Amino acid sequence: MDFSQTAERISLKFSQKGQSVDTKKIEAKLRRLIEEFGVQPAEAERSVTNELAKEFNLPGIGTGGGGRGKPGERENRSIADVVPGEWVTIEGKVVAILSPVSPSIAQSGIIADTTGAIRFVAWAKANAPEMRQDAWYRIESAVIDEFKGVANLKIHSGTSVKPIVEDRALIPSILKVGELKPGIGSVRVKVVQEWETTHERMLQSGTVGDESGTIKFVIWKEPGKERLKVGAVYTIFYALVDEFNARLSLNLSTATYMQDEGDITVSGGDSDVRGAVVHIAPGSGLIKRCPVEGCNRALSRQNYCPVHEIQPGFVYDLRIKGWLDDGEKTYNILLQREVVESLTGINLDAAKELAENNPLGMDEVFLRMRDTILGRYIICRGREIDNRLLVRTCERVKMDTGEHTALLNRAGGAP
Amino acid sequence: MSNGGTPAQGRKEGGFEREPARRVFAGELRECRHQFREGDDEKSPTFVLLPTGERSNRVFLVGTLTEKQRQGEQNIFYRGRVVDPTGTFFVMAGSYQPEAMQQLAKIETPAFVGVVGKPNLYQTPDGAYLVSVRVESVTIVDRETRDLWVLDTARATLDRIDVMAQGSTPDAARVKEHYPSLDPAMFRKMVYEALAQIKI
Repeated sequence: MDFSQTAERISLKFSQKGQSVDTKKIEAKLRRLIEEFGVQPAEAERSVTNELAKEFNLPGIGTGGGGRGKPGERENRSIADVVPGEWVTIEGKVVAILSPVSPSIAQSGIIADTTGAIRFVAWAKANAPEMRQDAWYRIESAVIDEFKGVANLKIHSGTSVKPIVEDRALIPSILKVGELKPGIGSVRVKVVQEWETTHERMLQSGTVGDESGTIKFVIWKEPGKERLKVGAVYTIFYALVDEFNARLSLNLSTATYMQDEGDITVSGGDSDVRGAVVHIAPGSGLIKRCPVEGCNRALSRQNYCPVHEIQPGFVYDLRIKGWLDDGEKTYNILLQREVVESLTGINLDAAKELAENNPLGMDEVFLRMRDTILGRYIICRGREIDNRLLVRTCERVKMDTGEHTALLNRAGGAP
Repeated sequence: MSNGGTPAQGRKEGGFEREPARRVFAGELRECRHQFREGDDEKSPTFVLLPTGERSNRVFLVGTLTEKQRQGEQNIFYRGRVVDPTGTFFVMAGSYQPEAMQQLAKIETPAFVGVVGKPNLYQTPDGAYLVSVRVESVTIVDRETRDLWVLDTARATLDRIDVMAQGSTPDAARVKEHYPSLDPAMFRKMVYEALAQIKI
């Protein structure tokens, strides 16, 4: 690696202050930090500059100086263009303030300009002035780094944060769901589905989508946060786009959202899977659900809900969990009541009656349903998430004579 | 839905992927001579190498259960023969598969059955090879399901033959090594004959 340019840059800073430093010496320091200690180049540059500033007693260059004195780095940058490892100066509007997750963080949130938005973190040690939501600031000499693959703006003790008094217009750029990348994004979407919440701190989760696709969303319980209405269209500004297991999701904790006029045709994102049912999992058939509003969890045999304990006033439901296999891939399928009824020909009332009049009780329903669909070919249509298929509709595969003929030709056609 | 993300490398977080159930005719399964394990872990799956160039840890088969037999004194297990248009599958279910064993015990022969299970390769003392399928589940099905399975298996087998002809997969290379004298044309013929037996 060549350190001469960086060394030259550092040397220049000191020569401007009337000190001359041997660039070879600087280079050696840089090389040691970067090659021996694995320090990031930007950090090494800062560190060497600091060390020399202390040596020459030139505080103006030190910590604060990563880019100070270099005209290029004082120029405003567009938030959309910054990349990790850079020292930057930006002007933007604080569009969200998040509650700090650690005492070493004074403040964190999202700052945006017309080109995009980025998360910022102000370290407690930085002693930066507290920023207010919806106000504009000029942030000089901040560092862009990367956390969990997402660019982040770090406000450290050398960063200057100045409020901008004038009010400027900020029109966020709205992206299509299919274009979202980890970081921050604004979208206009329709609420497709609402899921059972899996955590007591969770206010709501589900999926939203537009013409380009769908994405999972989550809202955590925080003051002022409202639930989304299923079927309604919202414009969501500055949501966190998180990535987990190579899948994206929208976290609305930082977001401002408002219901919108109109409608969106959400791209189904539906897949068809044709295969054989190779397994029916326990917990399929007739089940009991927790009657507590908003819970709806499946109860154990003893009517025990993991959250609300014993619930004698349970509600009956039908579902089938199992594996659908097309010979190449196996999908975990979940069939809701309507789908179960149409596929097995056993409706909820019939299932209840079966369970009541049979020594095996609910097991009888499981066994009958198993014997009706296990080992059969079916086509399931629904949303695919990893290997999981949330089935909307389902039907038996019918014999197709055309396929038979085509296969005969294929098998006999070639030598 | 694609998010443009790169799939996680190697083993996925939060578990494993279930091995798919391959569709294979009895006439092909009985030609298996090589079994291997991927990885050193105790839980690593074992595979039989299908002569059409694909590994199989699990199979789905549909045919006629023609015979079943209870065996063993203390460790009871059931053996059965399931016949398809190309030959016979040997299936078994023991006390480690209680549900499958009970299902098998209950079914009266002859009947069309759908079987999900794991193939295992054995060598008898006189040197003969035997592939037996350890049953995970077995249910009575109808003729239409049997016919659909023959079509499905015909297509899957032809697909495997085509992929192997290109010779670029690791399992195709394995076939060259372990089944040097096998001619894929015989499986194409087998597929044709299986299809020809279906009357529509």
